[in-house]
Amino acid sequence: MKNNPIQPFEKTIEDSRQRLMALSASGRKTIGYFCTYTPIEILHACGLVPIRIRAGAGRMDKAGAHLPDFICPYMKLSLEKALDGHYDFLSGIVQGYSCDAACGLVNVWKDIFTDRFFHAMPLPYNDTRASRTYYRSALFELASRLEDLGGHFSETALTESLNLYSCIRSLQLELYDHRNKGNSAVTSRNLMAIVDAGFLLPPGEYLSMLADFMDRLPPDPPAAENGFPVMVSGSLVEDPKILDTIEASGGRIAADDLCNGFRQIFPADGRGKTPVDRLVDRYINRFPCPARARATDRSDRLLALAKDSGAKAVVFIVQKFCTPHLADYPTLSEVLKRNGLASILIEMDETWQMESQVKTRLESFFEMMGSAG
Amino acid sequence: MEKTHKSTKRLKTAKELQKVVSDYYLRCISARSEGRPVGWMPPMNGVIELFYAMDLQPVFPENWSPVCAAFGLAPENFSVSENMGYSRDLCGYLRNIIGYVHGLMNEKDSPFGGLPEPDMLMSPGGGCVPVMKIFHELERRFPDAKVFYADLPQVAVEDIQAYHIDYAVAESQRLVGFLTEATGRRLDEDRLKEVVRLSDRACELWDEIMSFRRCRPVPFSAAEMGIMFVMVTLQGTQTAVDYLTRVRDEIRQKAEAGTGVIEDEKIRLFWDNIPLWYNMGLFNYFEKYGGVVVAETYSAAWSIRLDKENPIKSLALKSLMSYPLVSCVSINKRKEMVLKACRDYAIDGVIFHRNKSCLPITLGQMEIKEALEKELGIPSVIIDADHMDERNFSLAQFQTRVDAFMEMLLDRKE
Ligand code: SF4
Ligand code: SF4
Repeated sequence: MKNNPIQPFEKTIEDSRQRLMALSASGRKTIGYFCTYTPIEILHACGLVPIRIRAGAGRMDKAGAHLPDFICPYMKLSLEKALDGHYDFLSGIVQGYSCDAACGLVNVWKDIFTDRFFHAMPLPYNDTRASRTYYRSALFELASRLEDLGGHFSETALTESLNLYSCIRSLQLELYDHRNKGNSAVTSRNLMAIVDAGFLLPPGEYLSMLADFMDRLPPDPPAAENGFPVMVSGSLVEDPKILDTIEASGGRIAADDLCNGFRQIFPADGRGKTPVDRLVDRYINRFPCPARARATDRSDRLLALAKDSGAKAVVFIVQKFCTPHLADYPTLSEVLKRNGLASILIEMDETWQMESQVKTRLESFFEMMGSAG
Repeated sequence: MEKTHKSTKRLKTAKELQKVVSDYYLRCISARSEGRPVGWMPPMNGVIELFYAMDLQPVFPENWSPVCAAFGLAPENFSVSENMGYSRDLCGYLRNIIGYVHGLMNEKDSPFGGLPEPDMLMSPGGGCVPVMKIFHELERRFPDAKVFYADLPQVAVEDIQAYHIDYAVAESQRLVGFLTEATGRRLDEDRLKEVVRLSDRACELWDEIMSFRRCRPVPFSAAEMGIMFVMVTLQGTQTAVDYLTRVRDEIRQKAEAGTGVIEDEKIRLFWDNIPLWYNMGLFNYFEKYGGVVVAETYSAAWSIRLDKENPIKSLALKSLMSYPLVSCVSINKRKEMVLKACRDYAIDGVIFHRNKSCLPITLGQMEIKEALEKELGIPSVIIDADHMDERNFSLAQFQTRVDAFMEMLLDRKE
């Protein structure tokens, strides 16, 4: 294996702006999205390149003229970057309705960037025959709006896109297994870089990069390293430092339920007679986000995930002011506790700077866990 | 200024409201013993009319929060929910009602006798995240209640397509089926038409009442907005129509006589976002400068008219449109609405309540602010506060900002 197998992914993230500017200058249209409930398969099938908007770290300055302080860092800094021209390569935004913050932000962007394409797609909350019919109509409306933008939609193209993303997600899920087994190339930090790079590349290109990485993967060790096995759960985590800190404080991340992690990867695919049905099925059966599901539905899934991965506690990493996660926390932590899983809540602001207090809290949490277990 | 919790009311009918409110809550409390099943639901949708048409008792946990705030119970409720682990950064309605159902509700001496336990919960999919989460917690708190898992597309009013309406209609029909099964009652079509007619009549009266706000001097102000209570809780009833008729008559009389809220009206203001329920007296603060709050954003959201010949579809449309119209789902439409109101009511200045407890209404305010300045030349001021949690409000800061703003507006007038 090369010295740093993760380098292509890290470089993809680092150079994303230049690369995507060049891509759009070459005539390919890129469409941004915030939430992973956005059906990127449709965008791709229409010949567009879906790019997940990232916010990074920093402070809100220009965006302060549009947003209150009490909104999640993800929304604050993504607008900040957009106002700085970072997202000039985007032809538009498509958003699958998730939380209030993202819904409002799409409208704020729309008000500022009047020359771009915007489409918000409200998703159903239930799984019934009528809700699936509704979902299909919403997808067809999206496809037809994208055609106005120069895209071309066909069911054959959609099948190809579905296959492509299904392949990507299956490989990513394999990597989750390798991480859990303690594979030295798949640390939590690396895994995050691998997954995040996938948001910033045309999927075909990304798949080759991923396949290449898999080909050179070292064997899993006989047993995972020491460290108290935990699951991390929460909103988008854009800075791997917090994962490092968890591991440096005595934890070992065995599973995650993060917005840019397992939650948006599982399941790899859906089932259905037509490609649109297959797409609907996947999104309806997705590992649930708190913006769309009950804490009690999530706790069942988290308990199962903990059982499968061997995680014995949960670290919630939540973006400050993230309503869906903060609102679920009391119920989740109570249900988890009743089932023998302790948890701790860490809120991150837009600087992603960790106060020393966070490290101390984590250390004593793991110490306590260690002595208890 | 002394901190006045209640606003000064000058309408006779606004004072009468006390009775309307207590009668409503009395009916809630006695519903079960009178054989009327109780359902808790979010406000501003077409479910209320179905309830009244089937003689069921609707209860609105969100509306209970202002009551708690007015009676000074919110801090106690907050402390219960915060102890459960609910963050102070969450909407105050959520923290208040969750605190209430786990705390004071179990004690006997709540205002108006408190809320009755629900037989049914209309648990929303759609609406804002806090409202969804409130109901998820209510489902846990009242495990015996039958739950309707509602679903509604969150779509900007200007983007509504036929398939959105079809789904909303299908959901309304599914709801009727649920209510029938849960309560053993049938929905009588004629009765539904009648309720929808009454509901529409309330909207019509509401519009008429609002139209008197064009008068100069304005006959009533935001300080009297408690009248909205009937739109929230009694839409579709004769009680609402009768009460609004009396309000309309009183206001019309004042308008014809040229009686204004204050003697020398100099500045006409618009208020954006939810009022500070624990300090409604702030609406009177502007009066020392000759200022009156003539209009508010969400009073316009009660104007969605219904067609009694097409009751289910009308109600579905009402459900689809109500929340987007006042929130960040439809910033464009909201902007249009505010600008139109500012023109119609000859507004001199706008107060934006930047509401820590409500992101969905706060988002988009800056876009509206800019449009007001650019398109109409109307200045505005931002007040940082919270509609439920007094800890996020500083009276001193309010006064400093308002004083400077009012002086500026007066200067401009000269
Ligand atoms: S889910 Fe949370 S972090 Fe994600 S956009 Fe919404 S508020 Fe922000
Ligand atoms: S609309 Fe605003 S005030 Fe109402 S529940 Fe939602 S967040 Fe709270």
